[in-house]
Amino acid sequence: MDKRFMMLPPMCSLLMFEACAKPSTEQIEAAEKTIKAGQANDASPYIPDEYAKIKGTLSALKEGVTPQDGKLALFRDYGEVWQLAVTAKSEAERLKTEGTEKKEETKASALQAQQVAQEVVPATLALVAKAPIGRDRATLESIKADGEALQSSLNQVRMAIDTADYPTAQTKAKAIHEKSQAVSREIETPLPRSERENPLRRRRNKVDLLYV
Amino acid sequence: MSSHCPRLIWAFLGWGALALVGSLSGCVEAVPQDAIEAVENIDRDLMELRAAELSPTDYTQFARQWMALKARVQADEDLIRWPWEPNDLEVALRRLQEEGSRTVARLTKERESHRRSAEDKIARVEDRFRMMTLQVSAIDSRFVLGQKPDEIELLMKQAHAFYEEGRYDRSLDASDRAAQNLATEAAVLSSELGRYADRDRISRWQQMAKGTITWSRIHRTSAIVINKADRVLTLYRNGQKVLSYPVRLGFNGIREKQYHGDGATPEGRYRISSKGGQEQTQFYRALVLDYPNEDDRRRYQLWRKTGQIPASRAIGEQIEIHGVESELMPQTLGCVMLDNPQMALLYDRVSKGTPVTIVGALHEQNSLALTLAALNDQREET
Repeated sequence: MDKRFMMLPPMCSLLMFEACAKPSTEQIEAAEKTIKAGQANDASPYIPDEYAKIKGTLSALKEGVTPQDGKLALFRDYGEVWQLAVTAKSEAERLKTEGTEKKEETKASALQAQQVAQEVVPATLALVAKAPIGRDRATLESIKADGEALQSSLNQVRMAIDTADYPTAQTKAKAIHEKSQAVSREIETPLPRSERENPLRRRRNKVDLLYV
Repeated sequence: MSSHCPRLIWAFLGWGALALVGSLSGCVEAVPQDAIEAVENIDRDLMELRAAELSPTDYTQFARQWMALKARVQADEDLIRWPWEPNDLEVALRRLQEEGSRTVARLTKERESHRRSAEDKIARVEDRFRMMTLQVSAIDSRFVLGQKPDEIELLMKQAHAFYEEGRYDRSLDASDRAAQNLATEAAVLSSELGRYADRDRISRWQQMAKGTITWSRIHRTSAIVINKADRVLTLYRNGQKVLSYPVRLGFNGIREKQYHGDGATPEGRYRISSKGGQEQTQFYRALVLDYPNEDDRRRYQLWRKTGQIPASRAIGEQIEIHGVESELMPQTLGCVMLDNPQMALLYDRVSKGTPVTIVGALHEQNSLALTLAALNDQREET
């Protein structure tokens, strides 16, 4: 038998050992990169516990690499670390997607709330613009102030969305919606007949009051 | 002998089998399932407590240990060991379980205290807001505050929404901002209505009123003094008080009139420029004042120049003392309003040229000064 063939089994074994003796740095780096991408995308605040865990996995990985590095190359075994690194990488990718999805969900809810508020406020302002019969001047002015406040609060919702503060945008938009409905109800609630002013006198009063 | 041999072999085999079964049943799994479940439950509790947001350092530490142990669990999953063998993994899991339980207990307490703080803050700010609204309404100063009350209302709605979601930190933040707005409201009122608590100003108003009364005495005729803080009109004749009626002012009446449409009632020395009988006015009877006078025009120009009022705003006019039929009109656009029977009496006792002095307040303990002092006290308490 050729001597070269006799060398083949030990060579193969060496290659196998060598393969297992390599740390899975690429997988670890890839997982780290994906985590950072998720954080850069502001996805981490939406699943903070999951991100804490994946970071824990990463540090466990790194801790697993160190004792193997201290051994002779022939006795190093990165098999488990490698397996863990593969899992961590796929987990990091899942988190990136899940975090982004959650962020998008929250954003969509905030935008929906904003849209509802944006539709309701002009309708309320239109009601405010019609001077309701029977209201005294102070109530009327108070209702107008409410309408103006609603309008300027809508800008605050827009600002919160621009800064990606979706929970604030959502609660603000909902608050505006509620307030808007309350203002509309106040305008639309008919006064008892006995408390209504004579529209004719009101018109006359208006002429006189215009000078002030 | 030959019959004994197989029996011995069978006995050996029997004892051997028994020993094997005994040994195998004595072996235990290297990964204790109950400890893993316990740590998993703690992790779930921590997630429900929003530990990653409430106490990120604690949760990161827990997660780091848990993930490291999980990796070991995966590696040792198929291992079995002798019961007398030390089990590091189990020890580590039990330790993490203990630490985790302590963290859960501490965070539960912290969260409860957070919840209480948020609840207390909401209640405190809402109480103060309600009280302030009442006080502001009592002195008719709602319009001085502009959109501030609405902002506070929206912030409180947000605080409630965050509280319901269990986001106590955000709820506290919204309540804090509402409280800041309340403090700003009090500051705005102090700045806008501070003159009602200003001794010098009150002294000047007192002198103006005194001057008018003296004029009435010297000229042996009628004069009117209107006190905005008390909402009272007093008619003097020959320097003597003849009658005193409650009045209603502009919807922003406690402010000093600056421009057309501001709803404020002017302050100053005026005269009745004309009288309007039933056929000449919309308001039963009216006494038209010579507003704006020279002083008003000078002040208006100054305010425009200093940008205190928009350039597009004109100076107001047609300020009257008039009657009203409907009790549903609690305020005017800036005029002074009396009930018709009282207006009739007043109308008959004054003439064109009668001096009318409108002042903010005539004594230091007026309703506005007292309200401002109360608001300041509350601000200090919060």
